[in-house]
Formats: sequence, structure tokens, C-alpha cells
Amino acid sequence: MTTKPPSLGVRVAGDTNVGKVRTTNEDSMILDPIRGLFVVLDGMGGANAGDIASQMARDAIAEFVLHRRSTMPMPALLEQAIQTGSATVFAAAQANRERHGMGTTCVAALMVDPTHVLIGHVGDSRAYLLRGGRLQMLTRDHTIVEELVDRGLLSPEDAERHPYKNVLSRNLGARSETRVDIVEVELKPGDRLLLCSDGLYGYASAEGIQYILGSGDEPEHVARDLIDLALRGGGGDNVTTIVLEAPAAAPSSTQIVRTNGAGAWWQRRQRFLHVAKERGLPKNPIVRGLDPNEALELVALNLCQAIYHDLEKSTGVNVWTFAQTLAGGWFERGGEWAPLRGMMDILGESSRVVVDEIRTLDSQLGFLLDVAVSRALVVAELALGGLLAERLRQVDSDLIMLHTAAQETIEGSIDELLDTGDTGDRFIDRPTIPFLRPDRQVTNSGESAEVINAIEKTLTIARARTVPRAELVKQILSSLEAIATDGAGSFATSVLAARDLYGVRTVDDNGIMPLFDALDQARILTASSVHQIQASDITRARALRAISAAHQRLVGAATGLVLEAAAPFSDKLREAQVKTSEMRDQVAKAERKRAELERRFATNVDASLPWGSRGNTEW
Amino acid sequence: MSDQDMAAAVSVLRDEVLDTVEQGDRDPPGTEVFDALVRTLSIGGESVPGLDLNLHDAVARRLAWGDSEEVVLQDAEVVFDRLLVAVDRAFRDPADQMVVIEAATQVAVTVARVVSLAAVSRATRDRADRLREEMTQRQLKEVLEKQKANIARLETDLASGFR
Repeated sequence: MTTKPPSLGVRVAGDTNVGKVRTTNEDSMILDPIRGLFVVLDGMGGANAGDIASQMARDAIAEFVLHRRSTMPMPALLEQAIQTGSATVFAAAQANRERHGMGTTCVAALMVDPTHVLIGHVGDSRAYLLRGGRLQMLTRDHTIVEELVDRGLLSPEDAERHPYKNVLSRNLGARSETRVDIVEVELKPGDRLLLCSDGLYGYASAEGIQYILGSGDEPEHVARDLIDLALRGGGGDNVTTIVLEAPAAAPSSTQIVRTNGAGAWWQRRQRFLHVAKERGLPKNPIVRGLDPNEALELVALNLCQAIYHDLEKSTGVNVWTFAQTLAGGWFERGGEWAPLRGMMDILGESSRVVVDEIRTLDSQLGFLLDVAVSRALVVAELALGGLLAERLRQVDSDLIMLHTAAQETIEGSIDELLDTGDTGDRFIDRPTIPFLRPDRQVTNSGESAEVINAIEKTLTIARARTVPRAELVKQILSSLEAIATDGAGSFATSVLAARDLYGVRTVDDNGIMPLFDALDQARILTASSVHQIQASDITRARALRAISAAHQRLVGAATGLVLEAAAPFSDKLREAQVKTSEMRDQVAKAERKRAELERRFATNVDASLPWGSRGNTEW
Repeated sequence: MSDQDMAAAVSVLRDEVLDTVEQGDRDPPGTEVFDALVRTLSIGGESVPGLDLNLHDAVARRLAWGDSEEVVLQDAEVVFDRLLVAVDRAFRDPADQMVVIEAATQVAVTVARVVSLAAVSRATRDRADRLREEMTQRQLKEVLEKQKANIARLETDLASGFR
């Protein structure tokens, strides 16, 4: 049974079960949301009509509250009501000998207002409060053992093992008057109050009760599940539960956006796409080559979905990822800033149109959604800012590299003039081998627009599948697109692209092989990506053929550059060999001259000696 | 079509692609490229890129016989272009065409890699040879300077009056 009184705003439910051992249910309860009265009573006396005691007390309490609620202070009302119940049971027991000794426990909750409740109790039926996931007991059992513990005559450990631990020190019906403990509790949003008989906590652990009470299920389910818990624990006694849930706090703006805003936004995704289309998103250069609907799905629908998920989870990660992927891919293809800015403006304007439409239907939701969507767009802008900063750093790094290369070239030229340096590791800017002539004609099949479209799609997919940091592979894929879609039929595009790829490299395995590894990687990527585009088999084959031809040209041009870079080594060797040969000639010539001079010198010396000594001079 | 069937079907295009009628040679230019393609197709394109040792050997032989790297590169380009034309005509199924084109591109990249490796190796050898030449030049220079000094001394002595 679940009720929700409009005046108090609480939700409450209760349930009771005879258990697995007893034949009669001696428990009773009051569920009166109109007056805010909730009571659990556990009758005792067995054959002496414990069930009658609990029912009599129940009726007396309910009637007292019904008639006196408006005339008495609340604490007094509750205390007097319970006292009346006790007196009624006592009187009945005295009047009928067979019912002598009957009685009942009582735990009652009386709502003062939606945030305050009074708990009154006698006996060992309990009231628990669940707040912030923690279960706390609001009542102390009125048993002899507990009284002894309170007076310091018994330790809590000994109390657990005491033979009289279940013997009540107070109940309704034992005397005409009884002491009622009253506790006032301030309820906070989301608090849950549990009233129960000992049939629950005697057969269910406190952890189990806390778990079920805090499950977030409806009070009706919780009340029933608690009874199931006690039954699974043995069900040796009657068990009764009342679960009362305080009104939840007013939802936060975040919750409203999460629950209602995300749904409202997603419902209007087609409107978002329509506005984006109207504002020219499919014509943006970023989605050039794609079908308009494909472009809208790829960009606008993805953003719409990212915003939806971010609204739902109160995060910004999806929009961030979207912006980074979109802008990152565009920049990697050498894209300019202006189209990206234009694309983001279109997406921003489209989202505002949709939000404004929601605002006309629900101004509060529209306002909150406006803030939330604006936040998502700011996240996207931040992601772009990060990429731009990264791009600036890259440009800075490239400038330093170019400067270094230029310095090396200048120094190399000086070395060459001095004939002392090595000229192999230099940037190549002029073709010296016929194979690299830019005006050399190459086979050009002149592809149709459909095939060119397929080529662009294939390479877009291949780029998207490239692992991060594989900048060279991405550059190769962009070069392949330029070559494959070039209709000039000359080698110029390939040579230019190859020169960009070649950049500054040393002529050794470490300098050259990474280029060919990247070319091979690009080949594998394009070969697998062409099978993923939506096109006929013939178009796919033609696209692959054009890309493969472009690949061959690019690879050829890159190899030509390697040959060109290696050529100076042979030239320098030949020059060195010629020079060595000339020097050998000079040495031989000088040797001949020296020999001639020595011969003349010896002759002169010999001629100057006395006659008998001539011809004996040794040199 | 199985790998072996595909290789056999491409082998049929050998005369057309290598232009054997015009060349009239047992091993016309680019033979090594075409053979590498047939090998790649026969094993289903599963070879590790750049590790076709037969192709390495074939290119090395051509270079050893005196062909330049540039000529090998040009031949590979010609074979590739002719192959694309022949495949377009010979294979009706676009899927079969794509298999051959993928293999041909793989071979083209491998040929380029082999040629580049050869060029780099040659550049390394030339650089070492040049260093040796320069050392020889330094020694010759020293000898030449000593000879010049001797010649100058002898000329001075001769001029001093031994006549």
C-alpha cells in the first residue's frame, strides 16, 4: 500500500506477514497519511489474544488522534494517544479473565509538518532513520536487560547473552498507565523512516536492512522486500514494516538538464540538422566531396549526439572529443582556419535556434538548456584553442628546422667552395636526374567525378584510421589525394609532393627507410579503406587503381630524390679520384726533375775533382 | 579465384606487360618486377614488405651488370603502367582487379625500397672511397712538397759553382 498525502508530501507504504512459524498475525499497523499517523504494534500474550491487544490499541490510538489532533500540541497528542491505547488494552484485559496478561508494543510516527516527525514508542518495536545511506536506530528497546544496561548494571556484551533479553520492561496493557518515550526528528530531503516489529530485526541483519532501505526503490517495494528479508532469515515471528520517505529536495538545474533537457535536445536532432543544412554546412570545404546528407550526419549529427551525451552525464568530454577529431583531421589535411571557424559558427547558430524553440515551450528548461548548450560550445572552442596552440608550436618547430637546414645548406656551400666539406646531407631543390623532371608526361586515365569522390572518401577514411603521431603517413595520404585527383598528366604534382615528404634527410638507412616504411603503411591503409566506402565494385576498383598509380608515382619520385641525394657522393668521389690522379702525375714529374738535377749535380761535382779521383764520387 | 589461379592469370599477361615481342630478349627490362608480382600473388600478398629477397637479388644483379638505379626505377614504372592497362582488360571482376592492383602497388613500393637501399649503400661506399682518396692526396702532397724542396736545393747548389 503506497500513499502520497498532498499536505505532507511524504510517500509511505507498509506491509505485514505472519511469518513462517506462527499461525496468527498479532501485529497491527496504522497507515494514515491524511493525519500523518503511522504506527506498528506487536501484540503479545499468545493464547491470551495478543492480536486482539494490538488491534484494540491500534483503534484507540487512531481514534484519539482523529478527534484530538486539532486541539492538542503534537507531542502531547502522541503521548496521550499511546496512553489511551494502553489504558484500553489494560481495561479489556482486566474485564476478561481469558485476556489477562495481553499487551502490545507500539512504535508510532506522527508527522508535525513535512520536515518534522514525532516518534513515540513503548516496548521493543523499533524506529530507524536512513540518512545519507547510513542507518541509525531512533528508539531503545524497553526490555529489562536494556534497563539494566542503562543503569550501568550490565555490560552491552553481557546483555546480548542475557536469558531475559527479550522480556519487556514496558508495554501497552500491562498497566493502566505506561511511560512513553517521545523523540522529535527533523526530516531532510530523501530521508527514509522505518517502523518495524521485532520480527524484522530479529531475523534480518542491520546491514541487510540498510541495503534494502537505501536501495532507492519505491517505499512499497522496500516494505515488501524487508519482509522477504526477514522471511529468508527464518521468519520465526510476525513481521510488520512501515517505510516513510521524506519529500525529495527540489531538483537542481543540473538534474533538470540531465533528465529533461537531454531528452528535449535529442528529440529535436532532425530540426538541428535541418537548420545546419539551411545555413550551408554541407557546402563547407571541410566536408567537400561528401554527399550533403552524409556531411550532415558526419558533422551535425555527431555534435548533436555528443551534446546529448554530455547533457545526460553532466560532462564535456564528448563535445571535446568531437571538436578535436573534426579540427584535428582538418588541420592534418592542411586545412585552413577559416572553414573551421565557419563550421563552428553554423553549428553554434543551429543549436541556438533549437534551444530558442525549446524555450518557447518551456521557459525554465529553455533557459537552463541555453546555459548547458553554451557551455558545450565553449568546451568545443577550448578544444579548438588547444589544437591551434599545438599547431603554432608545430609551425614554430618547423621554422626552427627550416632555419637549421638553411644554415647547413649555407655552411655546406662554403665547404664546397673551400673543397673541404661533405655535401651529401643537404636539402635538394633542383632535379639533376632525368627521372625527376616535373614536365615528364605520365599515364593519366582522367577519372570521373564519381571516382574522384570515391578516392577522396577512401583517403578520408584512411586518414581517420591513422594512428596518432604518424604525421608522415597522414602527409603521404594527403599527397596521394592530390596526385590521384590531379588531371594534368605530368609528373610535377608527384615531384612536389615527394619533395615535401623528403624534407631534410641524411643519406643513410636511418634517414631514408622511415620514409619507405610510411609509404608502405599508407599503402596498407588505402588498400583496406577502399573496401569500406559506399560505392559500386567498379568504382572502388577504379579508385584503387588511381590511388595505386598515384602511390607508384609518389614512391618513384621519392626514390628519385634518394638517387639525387646519393649522386653527389659519386660525383665527389670521381672528383677526388681525378685530383689524386693529377697529384700522382705531379709527383712523378717532380721525381723525374729531381733525378735529372741530381744527375747534373753529380756530374758537376765529379768534374771538379782531381783527375785520379774522378768517377769515384758516391752519392 | 585462388591465389595460384590469380598468379597464373597474371602470368599470362607477361608478354604484354614486358613487351617481349618488341624487346626480343629472354629477360626484358622489368622482368624482376613482374616476377615479384607473380610471387606476391601466389602467396596471397602475405609477404613482409621489403623482404622479397629474390627481388633484392634481381635488382642487385641488374645494378652489377651496369644498369643504373634510375633505369631500374624507370623500368618498374613502365611495367606498373602497362600492368594497370592489362589488368583492366584481362580481369572482368573488379574484386580480382583490386587484388592484382594491391599486389602491384606492394611490389612497386618494394622495388623503390630496394633501389633506395642500393643507392644509399653505394653512397656509403663512395663516401668511404672518397675518404681514402683524400688520405692518399694528403700523402702525395707531402711527397710533392719534399720533392719541391729537394729540387730547390739542387737548383741552388748547381747555381753555386760546381760547373
